[in-house]
Amino acid sequence: MNIKTGHEPWQHGISKTITFIVTKDCQLACKYCYLVGKNVKERMPWEVAKTFIDYVLDHETDPDFAYESVVWDFIGGEPFLEIELIDKICDYIKVELFRRNHHWFNSYRFSFSTNGINYHEKPIQDFIKKNREHLSIGITIDGTEKKHDMNRVWKQPVADDNGLTKPSERGSYKDVVKNIPLWLEQFAGGGTKVTISSADIPYITESVLHLYSLGIHEVNINVVFEDVWQEGDDLKFEDQLMQLADAIIDGGYYQDYACSFFSEHIGKPMDPERDNQNWCGAGKMLSVDAAGNLYPCTRFAQYSLRDKEAWIIGNIKDGIDKNKLRPFLTLDRTTQSPQKCIECEVASGCAWCQGENYDAAKTHTVFERATAICLMHKARVRANNYYWNKLYRKLELEDLREQYEANKREMKPEIC
Amino acid sequence: MLQYLVILLDNTSVAYCHADNPLKERNLMPLETLKKGILFGMKQNLMIQYIFPDYELPKEYVEVLESIDNVKIYPVGCKPITGINDGNEADVEATNAIPEKVKARNLVLRLTFNEMLNQKDEIAKLFASGARINLCITDVEQFTDEQIEAYKQVLNEWNSILLDLYKQGQPPQFNLLTDRMMLDKMHNCEAGVSNITLAPNGKFYLCPAFYYDEQMKVDNQLNHHQPTSDNSVGDLEKGLDIPNQQLLILDHAPLCRNCDAYQCRRCIWLNRKLTWDNNTPSHQQCLMAHLERNASRDLLNNIRKVGEFMPEIDIKEISYLDPFDVRKEF
Repeated sequence: MNIKTGHEPWQHGISKTITFIVTKDCQLACKYCYLVGKNVKERMPWEVAKTFIDYVLDHETDPDFAYESVVWDFIGGEPFLEIELIDKICDYIKVELFRRNHHWFNSYRFSFSTNGINYHEKPIQDFIKKNREHLSIGITIDGTEKKHDMNRVWKQPVADDNGLTKPSERGSYKDVVKNIPLWLEQFAGGGTKVTISSADIPYITESVLHLYSLGIHEVNINVVFEDVWQEGDDLKFEDQLMQLADAIIDGGYYQDYACSFFSEHIGKPMDPERDNQNWCGAGKMLSVDAAGNLYPCTRFAQYSLRDKEAWIIGNIKDGIDKNKLRPFLTLDRTTQSPQKCIECEVASGCAWCQGENYDAAKTHTVFERATAICLMHKARVRANNYYWNKLYRKLELEDLREQYEANKREMKPEIC
Repeated sequence: MLQYLVILLDNTSVAYCHADNPLKERNLMPLETLKKGILFGMKQNLMIQYIFPDYELPKEYVEVLESIDNVKIYPVGCKPITGINDGNEADVEATNAIPEKVKARNLVLRLTFNEMLNQKDEIAKLFASGARINLCITDVEQFTDEQIEAYKQVLNEWNSILLDLYKQGQPPQFNLLTDRMMLDKMHNCEAGVSNITLAPNGKFYLCPAFYYDEQMKVDNQLNHHQPTSDNSVGDLEKGLDIPNQQLLILDHAPLCRNCDAYQCRRCIWLNRKLTWDNNTPSHQQCLMAHLERNASRDLLNNIRKVGEFMPEIDIKEISYLDPFDVRKEF
């Protein structure tokens, strides 16, 4: 008896995530995208990438890099638009890790989150074949064609005078879904990431089930952190999740398919001292952009921020200004949370994004938690309680409950 | 709880803390603004601290200034004569150079780290003046780990001189070394918490440094695209409005709330300048504060070899100089 849960990320907690923002361009202009400054101009030059890699590898013993493993993450815009550069970067990393006898030589991953549009193209497929054993690739598909095309639309062919891209009306579902079988063939068990904004709520159930029908067994889904929610959205959300719970349980999907909305570990009170860890890994991660500026996470680069200035922690020539990391590395849950969150009886599993917190804060700080998702989290908790009560009862009636409890995997706290 | 209202009487009022005052053009606070500021202070039950420029104020200001109890902070040699409270023991002289003679009971001496090293003997001579000496380093951001030994050494040398004064029954007051011996909890600047600054433009600021930055269009960030447009936290018409005020309070400072370098200024202007967050100190601030704390511990132990002294104070031996290095990690 098994209930499928999401995969724990590779070397979770013992790997350093290092992100190359290889381009700020994308074929799409998704309506919910937090990257408000996507543009066609900022493409990473090879010299910037090389200097950055040298900087990182030169600091092998620095506490900031003293992790057992490394995830070299590539992000855009759409990272695969720069496959030639990425291939060169990855080759250089491998050669340098070997040449330096670096401890990451046998413990690295290249990680990609792609819109999947050019996944089938030869340069990308060649790259996959070349690096297959060290690759993690996720394709984002949002659900049914209707749900996907509501937000994930192509950009207009011509950028504005500042190089900024604008959304068109043309959906991208058909251009992505054609590549799903190839992707699943190469990355069996691959999970997709689904984002929910206000207008998407009515389509959650059918979308998750649709993704299951495509053969995707792991659906990582979350509501956007931005303050986009309308009055009554929480009740609609709860209703959708209960429908989804019924479909998953009645259809028996829970054994082979996972949906991250449902977890046994959410919706509990949290101890202010024992459960005081920050949700987000900003500051432990490191990102670099085309200009060679360094960030605690890509969400602090200018193209991710609506109202605040970029939080640059250094550059590839001068290195990291460690003073600029200190706020991130001393963040805890209670210091940044308002009293209502500290006292919340269903606090566990309520997420935040440090970048959104910063962007939405009244002052220049990462210590002010944005709480726009409060009602949505509470709705999720109610539906989640319904899900588990219903599922436990079913297992009980099938005489499988004890077996499940005995065999279930110990989960580490989920963090960003 | 707000206790003090700092009134910058002029744009060129004397600098008395870490931040230099870069404003060179006189801009005297209008008399009406001053009156409103004093009224605000009276209604809020705040102790007024006037910060004076280096020139004599018009006569019509004198009566207004002295309409309430106050403390005066003024440039060395420019003691404001108002005819009232001219001998106030709380008044403070401030200077960027070692004065020939200390006239007030309190002196703020503002020096760069190298100036301090080069003039350590002259500084030591001030300890016997009977005045409280507040030494303020003006280039904290330049302090490096390579200067630790030099700082340790000068603090140690000063300790010997301070110890002799204790032995002679003339207990000195020197902020870097004697304050910590007297403290059993944090005693910091508390800008925006226990004190607030009123600038000549009638607006409130967390401290004078935030006003200077605004006037100079200096952003606190290295990657500025636009100058800071407004650092104010309210004005005399609408009152105080301090966003995220909780982040100025000790319990919202993860590094500081468990720290026992109680004499540290916890300068939020330096915090913001160096780490970009008001509640997080830089490595340099922590390092210097802990070198001072440890030297205070040595001084306390040496005084106790002579006789009983502050028995209730316990400064523990610690193995770190920056609490960031021993922070709680989850």
